[in-house]
Amino acid sequence: MPTVIETDGLTKQWGDLIAVNHLDLAVEQGECYSFLGRNGSGKSTTARMLLDFIRPTSGTSRLLGGAGSDPAIRGRVGYLPGDLNLPRAMTGNDAFDFFGGLSGSADDPERTSLIDRFGLDPTRPVRELSTGNRRKVGLVLAFLGDPELLILDEPTSGLDPVLQEEFRTLLAERKQRGVTIWLTSHVMAEVERVADRVGLIRDGRLARELAMEDLRHQTTGRIRFEFADPVAPSAFDGIDGVTDVDANGADVTVSVEGPVAALLRRAGDLGAVHIETQRRDLDDIFLELFDLRATDDGAANGPADEASA
Amino acid sequence: MSTGWKILRRWMRDRRLSTLSWTAGLIVIVVITAAFYPSLSNSTAELGESSSGTMSALLGLSSAIDPSSPLGYLWIGLYANVVPMTQIAFGIALGSAAIAGDEETGTLEYMLSMPVTRGTIAVSRFIGAVAIMLFSGALVCLSLIASIPLFELGDEVTTTGTDGSTTTQPGATTLDAFNGTLASTAVGLGFLGLAYALGGITGRKGPSTGITAAIAVGGYVLYTISNSTGSLDWLAELTPWKWYVDDASLVLGLSWAVVRPVILAAAGFAIGSIVFTRRDLQPPK
Repeated sequence: MPTVIETDGLTKQWGDLIAVNHLDLAVEQGECYSFLGRNGSGKSTTARMLLDFIRPTSGTSRLLGGAGSDPAIRGRVGYLPGDLNLPRAMTGNDAFDFFGGLSGSADDPERTSLIDRFGLDPTRPVRELSTGNRRKVGLVLAFLGDPELLILDEPTSGLDPVLQEEFRTLLAERKQRGVTIWLTSHVMAEVERVADRVGLIRDGRLARELAMEDLRHQTTGRIRFEFADPVAPSAFDGIDGVTDVDANGADVTVSVEGPVAALLRRAGDLGAVHIETQRRDLDDIFLELFDLRATDDGAANGPADEASA
Repeated sequence: MSTGWKILRRWMRDRRLSTLSWTAGLIVIVVITAAFYPSLSNSTAELGESSSGTMSALLGLSSAIDPSSPLGYLWIGLYANVVPMTQIAFGIALGSAAIAGDEETGTLEYMLSMPVTRGTIAVSRFIGAVAIMLFSGALVCLSLIASIPLFELGDEVTTTGTDGSTTTQPGATTLDAFNGTLASTAVGLGFLGLAYALGGITGRKGPSTGITAAIAVGGYVLYTISNSTGSLDWLAELTPWKWYVDDASLVLGLSWAVVRPVILAAAGFAIGSIVFTRRDLQPPK
């Protein structure tokens, strides 16, 4: 598979602030790569460098085998910025005609169907549109012309759940056509649904890259036990699949991957009186990966740093 | 249709209302001032005779200009200050909007995600701004040309001096209106180029508008001080007011100095475009 997005030591620095720090990325054709991080972590700065809005302090980036500064390359990219600003007097149709005209996609036969799918009234001026409706205009613009690469920064921000679902369906369709997708999002359900791989960026550094399969594997179950008497965490040592034990007196929560029979036998031996299953979702995983809970508690950020690329 | 033409056409289309508003405002001023010529010409003559050096500088009067003549009246009432100042303000607004305006709102960044080069945008926007300026200037010129026969501004004026001698001053002609408006529009273009350059360099409308306006106003103040005190002449030479007022193209005909602001505009375009194509885009405000 050819590499569609490639960065090599990509760095952007303003004075003392390093917005993006030696970023090495490779996204293959047809892959959906989700770039995740907290606000200000460097996601949008990376997108702006990919498209040549800003120039790297050092390092290089390539899109579709060429430079983002090449108009011919940008003509093959559909872009939705995090904060879409269109001329306020433009209507949706004006925007599709003008920007579509620049990229040669104004007469895309899918234009009407895209407008319909997002339930957009394209006759209203942008200044009269709500945040969500402006987003719809941006999404139609991004998908117009069947681009080979989609760079989408917070694409569903401001969209209602029905439209978010429609967006995910559309994204899945484009992925089936072999379109490469670079996506930032804070909606983990969206990421889980569409991404093949995630990159976690923190303080401008790629802290971790994970295949979605690996992440899903981490959405392992948790089992909470209540015992008649307090139990030490070490009581669960040596059980296959147990990854974490959180004991609070007689209340113990155990994370487990794979078969749980051995764990349940041990809990029975220890005198469990109540059992409750929990499942960690992706939000939990991401919070842990970013060590936000530890941060909130005033603890130092550790694991993500250790895993830094 | 080329990409540059699409960008140019869209940008001009987005400025239809503001262009027509500015131009209509200036045309109203020109026509109303012209309409009062028969009744106010004597007042301007008296004002010219009683003025001090500073006042003459402010009025744009020199010994070669008879304020009682049609051209002297139009010069004092319109072309020495009101028309060029309005055109300068319009030029600054256009020059600042060309790059910095859309960069500040973020629309320029989105446009650059399309298959468009920065150079194409820079050229299209500058041509658009200049075209709007020239279009507006042409309408102002036409309004003055139309006013000349309507308000007796084309008639010769004969005045009798205290010694009994008579002097005949020619009436205003179409060529005079063209010369005066061309010189005034050229000054506006010069400041358009300066605002464009600052917008291209900074990507921000505030500095582009503010600094250019300060230079325009400061230059006017400097010229009047220089004219009334005789000092700072060398510095006043740097302002367009020096040649514009001294040469009084409406009354005395065009001089080669009219190319000075055009050169300034061209330099502003070159500098602003070069910097714009090489720097980072500013994030939207």
